[in-house]
Amino acid sequence: MAPSPSRPLLLLLFLVVATLTASSSDTNDERVEELLSLQSRSKSGIIRLNDQTLSRFLTSVATPRPYSIVLFFDAAQLHDKSELRLRELHQEFSIISSSFITNHNVSHPSRSKLFFCDIEFKESQFSFTQFGVNALPHIRLIAPNHSLKDSQPMDQGDFSRLAESMAEFVESKTKISVGPIHRPPLLSRNQLILIVVAFLIWIPFFVKKLVSGQTLLHDPKVWLAGSVFVYFFSVSGAMHNIIRKMPMFLLDRNDPSKLVFFYQGSGMQLGTEGFAVGFLYTVVGLLLAFMTQGLVKVKNVTVQRVIMLLALLVCFLAVKQVVFLDNWKTGYGIHGFWPSSWN
Amino acid sequence: MAASDAHKGDVSMRNAFGSVLAFLILLLIGVLAFSIRLFSVIKYESVIHEFDPYFNYRVTQFLTKNGIYDFWNWFDDRTWYPLGRVIGGTVYPGLTLTAGTLYWLLNSLNIPLSVETVCVFTAPIFSAFASWATYLLTKEVKGVGAGLTAAALLAMVPSYISRSVAGSYDNEAVAIFALIFTFYLYLKTLNTGSLFYATLNSLSYFYMVCSWGGYTFIINLIPMHVLLCIVTGRYSSRLYIAYAPLVVLGTLLAALVPVVGFNAVMTSEHFASFLVFIIIHVVALVYYIKGILSPKMFKVALALVVSVGLAVCFAMVAVLIALVASSPTKGWSGRSLSLLDPTYASKYIPIIASVSEHQPPTWPSYFMDINVLAFLIPAGIIACFSPLSDASSFVVLYIVLSVYFSGVMVRLMLVLAPAACILSGIALSQAFDVFTRSIKFQLPSLSDHSHIDAGDASSENVVLDDTIKTDKSEDTPKERTTKRSKKKEKEPVEKPPSKSQLKKRLSVLPFEASIVAVFLLVLLVAFYVVHCVWAAAEAYSAPSIVLTSHSNDGLHVFDDFREAYAWLSHNTDVDDKVASWWDYGYQTTAMANRTVIVDNNTWNNTHIATVGTAMSSPEKAAWEIFHSLDVKYVLVVFGGLVGYPSDDINKFLWMVRIGGGVFPHIKEPDYLRDDGKAFDRVRRTEIGKKYFKLTHFEEVFTTHHWMVRIYKLKPPKNRIRGKNKRSKSKTSSTTTSKRKGTRRNPF
Repeated sequence: MAPSPSRPLLLLLFLVVATLTASSSDTNDERVEELLSLQSRSKSGIIRLNDQTLSRFLTSVATPRPYSIVLFFDAAQLHDKSELRLRELHQEFSIISSSFITNHNVSHPSRSKLFFCDIEFKESQFSFTQFGVNALPHIRLIAPNHSLKDSQPMDQGDFSRLAESMAEFVESKTKISVGPIHRPPLLSRNQLILIVVAFLIWIPFFVKKLVSGQTLLHDPKVWLAGSVFVYFFSVSGAMHNIIRKMPMFLLDRNDPSKLVFFYQGSGMQLGTEGFAVGFLYTVVGLLLAFMTQGLVKVKNVTVQRVIMLLALLVCFLAVKQVVFLDNWKTGYGIHGFWPSSWN
Repeated sequence: MAASDAHKGDVSMRNAFGSVLAFLILLLIGVLAFSIRLFSVIKYESVIHEFDPYFNYRVTQFLTKNGIYDFWNWFDDRTWYPLGRVIGGTVYPGLTLTAGTLYWLLNSLNIPLSVETVCVFTAPIFSAFASWATYLLTKEVKGVGAGLTAAALLAMVPSYISRSVAGSYDNEAVAIFALIFTFYLYLKTLNTGSLFYATLNSLSYFYMVCSWGGYTFIINLIPMHVLLCIVTGRYSSRLYIAYAPLVVLGTLLAALVPVVGFNAVMTSEHFASFLVFIIIHVVALVYYIKGILSPKMFKVALALVVSVGLAVCFAMVAVLIALVASSPTKGWSGRSLSLLDPTYASKYIPIIASVSEHQPPTWPSYFMDINVLAFLIPAGIIACFSPLSDASSFVVLYIVLSVYFSGVMVRLMLVLAPAACILSGIALSQAFDVFTRSIKFQLPSLSDHSHIDAGDASSENVVLDDTIKTDKSEDTPKERTTKRSKKKEKEPVEKPPSKSQLKKRLSVLPFEASIVAVFLLVLLVAFYVVHCVWAAAEAYSAPSIVLTSHSNDGLHVFDDFREAYAWLSHNTDVDDKVASWWDYGYQTTAMANRTVIVDNNTWNNTHIATVGTAMSSPEKAAWEIFHSLDVKYVLVVFGGLVGYPSDDINKFLWMVRIGGGVFPHIKEPDYLRDDGKAFDRVRRTEIGKKYFKLTHFEEVFTTHHWMVRIYKLKPPKNRIRGKNKRSKSKTSSTTTSKRKGTRRNPF
């Protein structure tokens, strides 16, 4: 049952008037001042709103408001659900907020036009229902002349590329440019110095070992394992999975209880699929090398025979499986060109 | 002793026989490499393919007509009108000079071939050369048998075929040969320590720099190998001779190529080689001092030298870092950066990320492009590690780097292909070696004999037999001795493998299992051959300038592109400007010989954006833009009638995006509305406006299948005449326009 929009609004107004009698007559300038001071108190520049402040800065202000608000709907109890990516998105949200603040100093006219706020479900359930938000992640832009209901939510696509695409969304809707995104460096300055110092100390010891020739680098087995691993990693198309952020498997659209491990169509692959085929690619070569390098040294002929036939069988099946999968995935029909009289 | 003498005579006889056989096999491999690439000529015709080759063809024509100096200073005013393009300074001249030389050579021998024929067959000829170079390279690593196998594999590896079929006249066609040959000469120098080969190596590197931008792979791979050798304690004077001349001579020569110029010393792609150059000198100094001092003195000196050397190194590194940091992209080009950080391009450079060649491949790409070699490579890697030599460590490094890079960008599969062939060749040859030996010494008729062999009585026979198999040429014994002497001075790490090698020669696998294994291997290789022939015939031979389609009523040939270009060259004035989307720029200049506004060398984004804006503007605005560029004709490609999918509508959103990137009034969402009733057969959707009349353009030519349509810009209307026309009757206006038409016709 949805209450008519005017009733909660009236209720809110009443509440606001009752609790904040002094501030209800605030001018817009004072509100902006307050937002700016709230912003300066927060580390990333994100203002935490709750039901009261939300109404103070949004509902009780006559449109057009002098500012736009980008609102992140957060719920601490859902942070451990990794598929929602709430934590990551909130992190990105704070990056774009702090980038906006560093790109526009206090005197900049855009600074007081756009504020990044978040709202926590536990504290402000009322606002969640007011916006009609029932699924997370959810980010909304409330432009100066928007009421709560017709404010614009970000699409899935808008936060797919994290802070960059969020910034694009904000820019396209508010015409206020966020500017370059400043991501915090992976390592802080002090850590970096520490690492460099440690590296410098380590170099002489390393050179000494190097000259005497007893490092791990002198062990060909390490190099061998490394190169075979790189080979496996590359032919399995893992780079594709990393760049495209492919999942390991998909849920079957027709039957959600089933998992799809192999995707038909050559332009795309799933994680498991790649690793499975990469393993098949690699294992044949390893078995062949084992037969020609290791097995020949075995004295017992029966052991040799059994292992060799087994290895050959595995190789044969692996090649056959890859050929089958390739034909299935790409849809190519590879055929020979035999003399026509043979048919 | 007498018996052993007779044995020796027998051996040398077999040696000679083996050499002749190897030569014949190589000849056949060359023929195979050449002929498997002729499918495009047989199925279609002897024609240059696709887009870029047309430009190379045109440049070659210019070279053969005007000579090398004019070519070097060529300013082309037929493209990028009104800007023009400095061709001599912006192309890699290797391919053009090669084909030009071939043409000149053939004509001076009174073999009258046209430039086009020479261009069409340059790629197949060079693939034969490439397979011979592969033979040489692999021979340096693992002997003749592996070399022949690798050469045969390379002759038909699909990845390489895709870039070198007859007619695909592009840089990669000669560059892969140059790449392999440079690596061969590097290994040859490394094995012999000869300054002669080192010089040849620099020259070969120069040829590579002339041919392809991919030369940066060489100038990074070789330093990495040198560094690897130093770090693993494999430094030798041969390594120094192989590396130092290459850096000095190679860099000097590379700077001679106009398109590279000072980049050879200024960009980060080359810095690794200089850094390693410094390091190798420090290490050489250490080894030299070690040689002239007593061990005790050396220890004292070592501390001094190491500290001084490190100080010098750090100073140089600091200078390099300062140089690198002063440039905005840190001195790396976008493409190189996306190799180091694979997610770089997709994040920051959409233009690079959008090109289909730059996508990361999935596993079927590997199966399509290197096929069963993907199974054999791990065995090859392991074979290279037992025993590990300088040459085999280089090959391992080559495969590891190239397989990683190919994982980032599918076009680098081309660089992986030779490495894959070399390692698979080694693996296959070793496997055949073991299995056939097992069969040979356990044949039922020879069983008594083989038992004696397999026992410890006389192992000589077996060993000799094996050496015949692997070392047929004359220079390998020399090389072997140098290897031996090197091994003596090295730490005992290398000794166990050589001992185990001796043991391995005596050991065999079970007879029946070996027969099965040989059978399966032959089956595997046969599958490879079938796949390669199929790929060459079906997948990689389409010239994309002539299209065919099979339907119930037979074969259809769509030759609309050449029809349109021929129309342009016969019916328009020589100096008329033709506008089209940039894909068709090279073809228009090469086949129609008309000036174009933009072409496939996308060096000026603003210019392309101007054309994109014109293409996506309303008629009047488009007319104004085209008119300001002196354009007479607009060429558009339309696939809606015959179902040709990659037409201009397919590229239209890119025109809008690129246009909008420079001219903000073009906005992508404005073009994404959906209100139509007509039907487009390619995209299976209805199109928007169906009945429209053009007022500023007129259609002058449409090809047979409507694939290319050429429109002419109408001359601007006289204002007074426009006023009069409105008052005049309909018939008189048609007569005036007719008269106008006849007046315009001479263009």
